Amino acid sequence: MKITEEVRISDNGFVFNSRTGDSFNVNPTGLELTKLIAQGHDFDTIKNMFLEKYDLDDLTFEKDFYEFCALIKHHQITSQEDPLDFK
Amino acid sequence: MSKTKITIAVTGLNNTDNPGPGVPVIRSLKESTEFEVRIIGLVYETLEPGIYMEGLCDKIFQIPYPSAGSDELIDRIEEIHQRESFDVLIPNFDAELFSFMKNEDRLLRSGIRTFLPTMKQFQERDKDKLPEYGEKYGIKVPASLNLGSQNQISEIKEKFEYPVMVKGKFYDAYTAYNTEQVKQSFNKVSSKWGLPVIIQEFVKGTEVNVIALGDGQGNTIAAVPMRKQYITDKGKAWGGITLSDDKMLEITRSLIRQTKWKGGMELELIKTVKGEYYLIEINPRIPAWVYLAVGAGQNIPEALVKLALGQEVAPMETYQSGKMFVRYSYDIIVDLEKFETIAMNGEI
Repeated sequence: MKITEEVRISDNGFVFNSRTGDSFNVNPTGLELTKLIAQGHDFDTIKNMFLEKYDLDDLTFEKDFYEFCALIKHHQITSQEDPLDFK
Repeated sequence: MSKTKITIAVTGLNNTDNPGPGVPVIRSLKESTEFEVRIIGLVYETLEPGIYMEGLCDKIFQIPYPSAGSDELIDRIEEIHQRESFDVLIPNFDAELFSFMKNEDRLLRSGIRTFLPTMKQFQERDKDKLPEYGEKYGIKVPASLNLGSQNQISEIKEKFEYPVMVKGKFYDAYTAYNTEQVKQSFNKVSSKWGLPVIIQEFVKGTEVNVIALGDGQGNTIAAVPMRKQYITDKGKAWGGITLSDDKMLEITRSLIRQTKWKGGMELELIKTVKGEYYLIEINPRIPAWVYLAVGAGQNIPEALVKLALGQEVAPMETYQSGKMFVRYSYDIIVDLEKFETIAMNGEI
């Protein structure tokens, strides 16, 4: 999964899709996740970074990560060749 | 670099809740890096707000509605030209374009340059011919039915699912959810804009628009896509944002290439959730949100003036996406004398 190049992410969590004109806000954790995805990190790398940084277990991270991915997919800011591929 | 002094006549100073493009066109021209403009405002009504906006026009003249007859309108334009000697005329209303296009040669002989679509380009994009247009130029359009009388309303049920759009030939569009609402809208639209009334399939999606300028040779000189963010009850954009949408630009360039479109235009499109684009209308002139395109980096009125003067204009390829416009209303306090002058003398 990739964040499409038309998407602009501000440091304050404002996300703007210049292709659709849509915008939305993400909280600091969402911003961190969005930036990591945008930087091209895969699922395992992001998971390890989060597990190291936060008091979090594997399952909770996975559940929240996929929920977040579904949300940003809904906002059309991601592109996925395979709909089940979140890496 | 010293700027070229030029006089330009502009119509459409009605900056109301259904705004004409005149005021933003003038603002754009005043920001030209190449021209120092003197503006002649041409108005139909004495309460067009552009008359009263300080610093907008250097002279203002009232002109007769095209419905009074093309000759009367053109005679008046020539009379004003003899006094003020303008170089280029930019008409901004759909309803007046026909008269100006028809008299393009006569205006040119008088020394008035325009840069308008040809009669063929203008007529083939008429709303009641949209299905043929879509087929000819390979663009998806909603299915439509032209109603010449109320008796045909019963045909809608056979061809469409409700809701449908009920549209006037020039302006106005209403959504109708049943036969009764179609009848009401039919009466409203036909009494104002005549027949046919166009019934159009309702395409669900986001309304997006492109402002563009064609050089008449098939080249797209300017094109900026926009999404309306705030729409008034008249369907007018009260806020919008420029988009970075290659597909919209591709549709625009393809259309201009095939039609060899000459002049300003606005494509009104619906983008469906599947990412398909349906062309719902082509306005054959600069739209009222033109100043957004200028803010995003493409001064379309300036380029149009250069084309009208026969100058070479290189296509503008870039613009800033994510630029927004927000419209506002504003009360101007006007002395009665000013209103009296335009009402009594037909000029200020």
